[in-house]
Amino acid sequence: MESQIELIYEDIKGKHNVKLVQFVGDLDATNVETVSEKICNLLNEGYVNIIADFKKLRYVNSTGLGTLLHFSKTAKEKNGSFKIANINENVYEIIEIIGATSLLEIYDELEEAIKALD
Amino acid sequence: MEVNIIQIPDKPHAIIFQFSGEMDSDKIGMINDTFSQINSNINYVIVNVKSVQMISSSVIGELMGYRKQMIEKGGDLVIAGIDFSIRTKLNLIGLTKIFRIFSDPRSALNAYRWEIERHAEKIHVSFPSHLKIVPPVRQLISRIAKQKGYGNRDSFRLETIVDEICNNAVEHGMSGSELSIKLNMEIDPEKVELDVTNTSDPEKMASLKALLKPKNNNDIKLDERRGRGLALIKMLTDELSVDCSGTGTSVHIKKVREE
Amino acid sequence: MDIIFPYKVSVRFPGDLEYIPPIRKFVSELLQVSNFSPKFAYRSEIIVDEICNNAVNYGCRTSNAEIELICEIFEDRIEFTINDQGSTKENLDQLMSVIKQPIDPEKDIQHGLGLEIVRMLSENVDVVIDEKNLTSVHIVRKREDIEQK
Repeated sequence: MESQIELIYEDIKGKHNVKLVQFVGDLDATNVETVSEKICNLLNEGYVNIIADFKKLRYVNSTGLGTLLHFSKTAKEKNGSFKIANINENVYEIIEIIGATSLLEIYDELEEAIKALD
Repeated sequence: MEVNIIQIPDKPHAIIFQFSGEMDSDKIGMINDTFSQINSNINYVIVNVKSVQMISSSVIGELMGYRKQMIEKGGDLVIAGIDFSIRTKLNLIGLTKIFRIFSDPRSALNAYRWEIERHAEKIHVSFPSHLKIVPPVRQLISRIAKQKGYGNRDSFRLETIVDEICNNAVEHGMSGSELSIKLNMEIDPEKVELDVTNTSDPEKMASLKALLKPKNNNDIKLDERRGRGLALIKMLTDELSVDCSGTGTSVHIKKVREE
Repeated sequence: MDIIFPYKVSVRFPGDLEYIPPIRKFVSELLQVSNFSPKFAYRSEIIVDEICNNAVNYGCRTSNAEIELICEIFEDRIEFTINDQGSTKENLDQLMSVIKQPIDPEKDIQHGLGLEIVRMLSENVDVVIDEKNLTSVHIVRKREDIEQK
């Protein structure tokens, strides 16, 4: 069994290769596998631009962070991007500690992340 | 392609195949040879693909056939060693719909112990005798049950049971940060057993023993200030016993999984 | 009635990742009922998660291996000790290389991030490996300024 996380998908009007993914819950070592598979499938299906809404992501650990860095790298390899928006203070702090803020595309608001696609 | 066969010392029915290199269609003969070597009593095969560069669809088809055989013997064939980089490299879309996937062989073995051997897992918690500590403890036990696949209702009932037993242990025991309450949990796919032991307070033992008298257990008046907790535990559990013979009072319960 | 400090809580559990989420939340809740701030509790939750993950990944050779986490909660700090049941030489070499050398997240996004986070979130981290390859990690984390409460 896994720690609780839910991914909710949404399309963005007028953007065919973009998926908005809401992360709800905790991202940790017990569920990175499932999350990886889901994001990987999106990338392979041609949604090479992913906007991750972290508003309801309560928790992330180093394993989860490693996976986020992977998503970003893989999306770039496919000429896309993995953008993060609405990140909470606690989660941001962990990313900051590891020195990964510059390795991830982080936006304050969802709209900014969407706008950055243009 | 190479394969390393790893026997597991205390698990005669399980085996790990560690493949490396390219698992393409012309290696099917070699894969079949590997499977023909295994003992007929083996019903759980862990295929570790950590060092595999590619898997062809025909190999996946072959593995599906062996999985069917293992399931017929009451076991399974599972895949281990898949992380994100391997997943993107192997382009394994849909593999999780066919096989159970684990990040490493040990997790696959843990699942085997739990699901096939129905092995009970033990958790031991020791905490100070203080009412404020009880809510985190009861939630710990409830979350463990949920994590192990128990439903919301069973987990909630367990939380209630732990709450009542631990509150009693604090109320009837010696208090103080240096004195601890010990909680042992044994969980398997069918049931949970709990043992909670405190350090008895001799002055409070008389009231506890009065509560434990059979008439009180069978005919508890809900308007009585005391004893409701024990009545509730009794209603929610399948077995309940209390032992006050030692320096501490031990409460043992068994709760059979309902959902 | 208030809790009297210091107090000790220990949990022994099977060396399986799935036990870690309930255990890290347990520690976080313990700290909150002990009047530590939610932020302190959150950061401690991360520490517990990372050290338990390491113990499961590096220190559980056999399928029935157990991990023991001891939390000593003082008025001004928490001290964690985590004991595993022995590791292989390769695992320990990997662990020691992570301990000695800070990692670069750009180069290695799989290993060592956890311990780096623990180091940044705590005052002191000691790793002791005995002659039987049993690893014990001891961590001290102090309560922050009262303003942050």
